[in-house]
Amino acid sequence: MLKNIQEWILLLGIFGITALIGNWAGYNILPLAAVPGMIMLIVICLAGFILRELIPVNFPSIAYISIIGVIVSMPWFPGSGKVVEWTTEVQLLALATPILAYAGIAIGRSWTDFVKLGWKTIVVATLVMLGTFLGSAVIAEIILRFQGII
Amino acid sequence: MEGNESSLVGIWKDWRLHAIVLGIVIVTELIGTFKIPVGPGVILLLPMLYALVIGLGLYFTPVVKEKQSKNAEPIIVLGVALLLAKIGVIIGPSLPEVIAAGPALLLQELGNLGTILIALPVAIWLGMKREAVGMTHSIGREPNVGLIMDKFGISSPEGRGVMAMYIFGTVFGAVFLGLISGLLATLTPLSPLSFAMASGVGSGSMMAAASGSLIAAFPELESQIVAFSGASNLLSLSTGLWVSIFIGLPLTEKIYARMTRNREGY
Repeated sequence: MLKNIQEWILLLGIFGITALIGNWAGYNILPLAAVPGMIMLIVICLAGFILRELIPVNFPSIAYISIIGVIVSMPWFPGSGKVVEWTTEVQLLALATPILAYAGIAIGRSWTDFVKLGWKTIVVATLVMLGTFLGSAVIAEIILRFQGII
Repeated sequence: MEGNESSLVGIWKDWRLHAIVLGIVIVTELIGTFKIPVGPGVILLLPMLYALVIGLGLYFTPVVKEKQSKNAEPIIVLGVALLLAKIGVIIGPSLPEVIAAGPALLLQELGNLGTILIALPVAIWLGMKREAVGMTHSIGREPNVGLIMDKFGISSPEGRGVMAMYIFGTVFGAVFLGLISGLLATLTPLSPLSFAMASGVGSGSMMAAASGSLIAAFPELESQIVAFSGASNLLSLSTGLWVSIFIGLPLTEKIYARMTRNREGY
């Protein structure tokens, strides 16, 4: 467990530094200004990973992390103002770029399987993604309009 | 499949990998976002999309070795964890809004019925057999692969179908959703907030690409887009499997049976 925590901190730290530099290169936010927000996000992740280990229920750590993030930023939570203020300096898109860079390197190994898919498979798979995406958007649109939210 | 924690040991020492990623991030963020007008709509090219393509390209050069590619996989999970923490702190202050949109968030989870209605008939029309059931019953992420393997076995036609969908999604999913979400939101009369909900398909990188492109097209709606896509992704993660078990798969089976019977009848 302690060994794991150490690995998590190191890797989240490395990932965080990369994201902060991207945050600077792409969104002109100086790394120093975004460091408190990044530390905050890393602490939330660690809390989620540790809860996952401590609580003997099969509940994914990413769900804990999302819920902790929501709770500590709700207006009634002590210090939530600071949490929101600090984390605003870390751009969402700056976190996404390194994720997809690592993903690109990782999916290289799936590439040989990918090129073996026939054209029919590609057509159908494209329609599956398009169908899910459009299907969800149409249902959401109908209900949001019905509720008068949009 | 996404890595487990034990495989994390020592990955932080892979400096070659981290340096490559840092290099990719700096270059792609400096290039910035490009907007390609398509009629009244816009296709958005985001740094994260270049990052994915450059990463994939580097895999085929001596810069990236097998070890880096293996080590990169569990780090994605950690990166997605940070992304979800960030989404959490955006949802927190706007939680009342998210709750008000609860009915839409819940029901749009049934959106993969769209898949069955659009993709399944085409699959059958193209001459696919039982592979079509595995492929089109859902968007084919980890829980869906598990479900099909459990029900039909790994070497069944259904199993081959769901694996094909999984591989396609892994390699092409984020790029595809990133390109079409901004385009559809600018081209169709549907609200960007509806597409934000649709972005939460249950995969961190696909959600990031789809919602990122919406944010770039509608920066004034950023916090609502993030809150809705994040909440929807969380719901997909927790309900996606159940929607597949109780609605997606049975419905796919029913339509498949009806369509193939009709064909034999003619």
